[in-house]
Amino acid sequence: MPREFGLLEGGRIVKVKIRRNPRYLALKIESDKTFERKIFLNNVWRSLTKLYGEYGASKAGMALVEYEPEKGFAVLRCENEALTMVRAALATLTSIGEKRVAVHVLAISGTLRALRKKLSRGAEGLSESGGF
Amino acid sequence: MRRKFADLNLKPSVRDFGSAEALFEKACELGYSLVAASFPPDVNRERVAEFKRLCSGLGMDFAARVDLAPNSRRDLLRQLGRLRRRFEIVGVVCVSKAVARQAAKDRRVDLLVFPEFDPRKRFFDPQEAELASNALASLEVCMSSLLLAEGARRARLLSFLRREVAVASKFCVPVVVSSGASEPWLLRKPRELAVLATLFDMDFSEALNAVSAVPLAIVRRNREKLSSRFVAPGIRLVRRGKDC
Repeated sequence: MPREFGLLEGGRIVKVKIRRNPRYLALKIESDKTFERKIFLNNVWRSLTKLYGEYGASKAGMALVEYEPEKGFAVLRCENEALTMVRAALATLTSIGEKRVAVHVLAISGTLRALRKKLSRGAEGLSESGGF
Repeated sequence: MRRKFADLNLKPSVRDFGSAEALFEKACELGYSLVAASFPPDVNRERVAEFKRLCSGLGMDFAARVDLAPNSRRDLLRQLGRLRRRFEIVGVVCVSKAVARQAAKDRRVDLLVFPEFDPRKRFFDPQEAELASNALASLEVCMSSLLLAEGARRARLLSFLRREVAVASKFCVPVVVSSGASEPWLLRKPRELAVLATLFDMDFSEALNAVSAVPLAIVRRNREKLSSRFVAPGIRLVRRGKDC
């Protein structure tokens, strides 16, 4: 979705459109315990900050779009440029509090609609044959 | 064609069949088509066969692996002579420079493992890499240590791995990325392992090969060597008889 910014150029303000290029990641969260939305997201941020620092994490543009703790399912949005960083951060997430946790990426897509389509077709197979 | 993935370093409990089963089931669910389990050298052959049956029931290929941790060069040679033909994969945990050098030049060794966090005990330098490239040994990177380490310890490990992978790449030494998981929560999907390998500056396509083409090639080569038809590299017995 393009965002408009005002930029001063030659004494007048011109509109500049900056195109954001999001990626949506469907996640499977494996743990004995369920976690609150905020706790889960905080831990993903913490993992990202540990690996890439605050500067790196600031480029991720990460947000939790959907979260179903009972099903162990979540949809995370991030910038395309930061996709590898976010995937690495998710892979290094091994515990939340005292509980062991593993987060696996089921599918990745550029739109939520395409992500749901991928998931309905069987995310397991797709995530292995497709990827990015 | 769909890429096949292999994890050459699962560490199931040999005594607890239930937990081993859970580990293999998880590996199968995550998309691995070949797994190798590390056994102690004196393992019962029946136990290896049980694991093989279990994996074949799950639709996965299985390879038996042994990790040797010799104290000296002589000890390594003795263990290799005794165990090479019993296991499909042989890894050597290099705890001293003499052992590392001998392991790198011995054609019976498949994987070189450097477990120490101490920089003085990581012996994968250009000399080691040159020996390994002539003898077809590969450098193994075990991701469980990366997942379990935190803070400065992880930063140090990443720094060692970055240097070692760069040296391996310069001397054309294959790199194998494996999980080293003893429990299901330490297992990651093959593509996630490849993404983690980009942390120490491996190219993503190269990292994908490190979890697919390279380990699969090692197992294929060793199975060929262990078969009764093998004569020498590139030569194998096709037919026996008077008319040959």
